[in-house]
Amino acid sequence: MSGGEARKGFAPAECDEVASLLVFYACDETNAAENARIAEHLLACDACGEQLRQERAFLDALNATVEPADRLDSSGVLLAQCRSELSEKLDDMHAPRAQEHWSAFGWMRRWMALRPAWSGAALIVFGVLLGTQIVPWLQTANDVAGPAVNVLAAPKLSDEQLSKMAIAGIRVSPAQDSPMENVQLQLNAEQPLVLSGNVDDSEVRRVLTYVVENGERFDPGVRLDCLDALKSRTADQPVRQALLTAARKDQNAAVRMKALESLRDTANDSAVRQTMLQILEHDPNPGVRIEAVNFLVRSLDSLGLENSETVVVEPEMAQIVRVLNDLEQRDPSRFVRLRSAAALRQIGSRDLQ
Amino acid sequence: MQKLEDRALVANAQAGDRAAFEELVRRYDRDVLRLALNLMKRPEDARDVYQEAFLKVYRNLHRFRFECSFYTWLYRIVTNVCLDQLRRRQSRPEDQAPEMNSSGREEGATDFFERQKENRPTQDPERSLMGKEISRHIASAMEQLSPRERVVFEMKHYQGLKLRAIGDALGTTEETVKNSLFRATRKLRNQLGELR
Repeated sequence: MSGGEARKGFAPAECDEVASLLVFYACDETNAAENARIAEHLLACDACGEQLRQERAFLDALNATVEPADRLDSSGVLLAQCRSELSEKLDDMHAPRAQEHWSAFGWMRRWMALRPAWSGAALIVFGVLLGTQIVPWLQTANDVAGPAVNVLAAPKLSDEQLSKMAIAGIRVSPAQDSPMENVQLQLNAEQPLVLSGNVDDSEVRRVLTYVVENGERFDPGVRLDCLDALKSRTADQPVRQALLTAARKDQNAAVRMKALESLRDTANDSAVRQTMLQILEHDPNPGVRIEAVNFLVRSLDSLGLENSETVVVEPEMAQIVRVLNDLEQRDPSRFVRLRSAAALRQIGSRDLQ
Repeated sequence: MQKLEDRALVANAQAGDRAAFEELVRRYDRDVLRLALNLMKRPEDARDVYQEAFLKVYRNLHRFRFECSFYTWLYRIVTNVCLDQLRRRQSRPEDQAPEMNSSGREEGATDFFERQKENRPTQDPERSLMGKEISRHIASAMEQLSPRERVVFEMKHYQGLKLRAIGDALGTTEETVKNSLFRATRKLRNQLGELR
């Protein structure tokens, strides 16, 4: 720094102060006041003058050096390269991103493509689970459209509700503690509900009867299930009437035959026999007519039994014979004609007795 | 005029005009690369600084509110990038700038840039030789400075910026810059004592 012995007439503190400014004075970073003060000081202080000379020598030496930039990129190639790279990066930033086409479970497909053996095993396990667990669960869940309300035949459905309801499902299963079968009806009315009980429950029986009687609104499968459930309650007049209506009018021949089969135990009922005669005269399905002939034959068979309650009055018998004769002569079904002839012979032998 | 043009170019670039931005780059990138080369001493590092700095400028241009000149704002970004790089380099001794050999070249540096001929017409052979020798000493002495001192010294003596402009670029006061420059000069002079 400044040599104290060379100072002339200046306090060391002033020399130190000026010396600290010489770095900036040498590179023209002092203000006018500082410049004046330094200039005045330098006139009388050799030590600070020497220091200024050293500062300037240092700057001269610095100016004589080759800047790293001049040496490292004297030709400007690096600058050109930097510009080019920057331009490319800007292009990349502006270019719309190549969007990978999204596909569902794309990751899974990639995973499976790389691991075929594991994929095969995983698919088999998935298939087994789907078939044994998920599908039955989904079927149960989808049987009704909303949360089901379990009703034990307590609420009485109005006629309007009955007229608007749809049957989503019917399940008839043997009861553990009762000879009567359990019936579970899943109804889609204003609010989905499940009606469960047995055919002794009036509400259950009412719904089943309604379905049988108004067959055109319900699925044939549902109607067959309802007939199956009601066959043990044919003693009930509304049920019997519904069965007779189904036997006579249902669009589906299988349902009509099932209705006739359900009426098997009502042979002593004259109304039922009249219905059989109507069916024999008008039903287009030979299977139904055969079932009706069989019913009549069974009805006539019961006439010979000692404890038979079957009573056939003469006008009715004449009507039966006429219809049977007609069938024997003209029915397109050979079996119907044969069964009619057999029934006529049976009647003839009974008359002879 | 220059400032007005800068202002218009910046405004256009902010509006999405890519050509305006590239014009700003061409206007200042020579100085930016020079600063980066002088500070980093390695072309690849200087190239990284250049890219990072201008990409930062591009991404943040919408935040520039003309509260200072674009030049000052740009230099603030460049010096920050340089300081980050220098600090990272200081924390990794293996990443120090390579030593210069007697000819003023980096040891083992034989890439294209190194082989380019020094063609500045003002230099005669003797002066060039002395300059290279001094350059080697100065480069070695500069390694002893802190990153901030190096940046201040570089901007003052190689970029020729005034202390106030350096303070603006570094986001600090002129007084702080003065202190950094004073310390840097003292350290270098002590290192280069034999040149006095």
